[in-house]
Amino acid sequence: MFNYNFRWNQALNSLPQMLEGALVTMEIAVLSMAIGITIAIVLTLFRLSGIRALSAVAATWVEIARNTPALFQIYMVHFGLGGFGIHLSPYLSLLIGIAFNNAGYLAENFRGALKAIPETQTRAARSLGMTPIQAFHNVIMPQMLRISFLPMTNQMVWAILMTSLGAVVAMNTDLYGVTSDLNARTFRTFELFAIAAVIFYLITKAITLSARLVAARLFRY
Amino acid sequence: MKTSFLAVGVLAAATVAMPAQADKLDDIIASGTLRCAVVLDFPPMGSRDADNNPIGFDVDYCNDLAAALGVTAEIVETTFPERIPSLMSGRVDVAVASTSDTLERAKTVGFTIPYYSFENAVVANEKVEMATWEDMKGKTVGATAGTYEAIWLEGKVKEWGEGEFRPYQTQADVFLALSQGQLDATVATVEVSEANVKSGNFPGIKIVDKAPMVPDYVALITLREEYGLINYMNLFINQQVRTGRYAELYKKWVGEGEPANLTIPGVYR
Repeated sequence: MFNYNFRWNQALNSLPQMLEGALVTMEIAVLSMAIGITIAIVLTLFRLSGIRALSAVAATWVEIARNTPALFQIYMVHFGLGGFGIHLSPYLSLLIGIAFNNAGYLAENFRGALKAIPETQTRAARSLGMTPIQAFHNVIMPQMLRISFLPMTNQMVWAILMTSLGAVVAMNTDLYGVTSDLNARTFRTFELFAIAAVIFYLITKAITLSARLVAARLFRY
Repeated sequence: MKTSFLAVGVLAAATVAMPAQADKLDDIIASGTLRCAVVLDFPPMGSRDADNNPIGFDVDYCNDLAAALGVTAEIVETTFPERIPSLMSGRVDVAVASTSDTLERAKTVGFTIPYYSFENAVVANEKVEMATWEDMKGKTVGATAGTYEAIWLEGKVKEWGEGEFRPYQTQADVFLALSQGQLDATVATVEVSEANVKSGNFPGIKIVDKAPMVPDYVALITLREEYGLINYMNLFINQQVRTGRYAELYKKWVGEGEPANLTIPGVYR
């Protein structure tokens, strides 16, 4: 196919470094999901609040997060805010960028989930004497999270893959960053990126499989 | 009569069945096109003019090489990390892309003799107190990912054990970060540094010092086993210097003064 002799031993020597990078990648993905879910719930509440200004904030967030490239969002966190004198490290820029993206997509997932929950439930909860917050927290939210659980794992997979965009903000400790640094030194492009791809695949596969196991246990009717 | 007829037949069959092994050099000449990978966000070596046409030292160098081969040049834009994949996948024939000839890389690609040599400067944000290159210790520094100076600077930061190293994807991003104050200092080639300070695109930066690195000799690269082409390009580089074209291109793209000496005293190539 092409003129290249694969030399796996040299590339495999770098495996420990790449696995360390994989840990950073997972750390960012997990943190960005935790932040993303929290913000998405807040955005959902904004939408439900019926207050125009708040639902406008939520709508704008979702529009920007879903309709611009994640690459752009991460770049803007670093260089856009940087123009205003707000300097974030590559790690924070990447984390905030992905969290912003996650929040937008998840808020939309939650909206879909809410549509699947009959509105009469809220009224029933209210008539039992719950405050609107209690009704949301005790009755609606658990069902919402259950319905959107699998879409959430989808977003988690995206978060893992999006960490590779950190390169545009000089991130060099995540899996992609470590790999491209090794590549610059050794030019063993194909082995290194093949290994990185396998690691990415294993991580995301592990996430989807374990999510399915968790879902099977938690959501038995 | 019959035997000689047979002999001619066998000979003819042999010529058809066993063509001389065509190498890359033959392929380029036969195809009539030389495809060069050039990095186009690395002025003055490679950039684009107002009409979006590729220009720069490396672009002219590729055109000269094509002219010598009697073929047309095709400039294929590439980034530093993409040089090797484009070579290996056959998207380009050679990379005229300021590639530093490290021993580690020579295990993978074929280098010619050096065709240019860079010295590197330390450039800092004006608000940062710096007098010499050693003041970079403990600071947030960065450079263009995948370059010789980035590898050097990352090594220094590790050696110092303090401060932070950030590899940005493009030279423009490095200077943007430096201008915004996200980076305290960077190491970049003297050519690039002077061009960027002069252009005014990145306010608030100053050249502080020379970086104490071994000069960064850069070479043309192609596939490691293409000796015919490497041989040809070695002679081509020699001729560029001999005919004064090297000095001419230096004056055109870099400025007044003498271009760097490409020989190393005291050793054969």
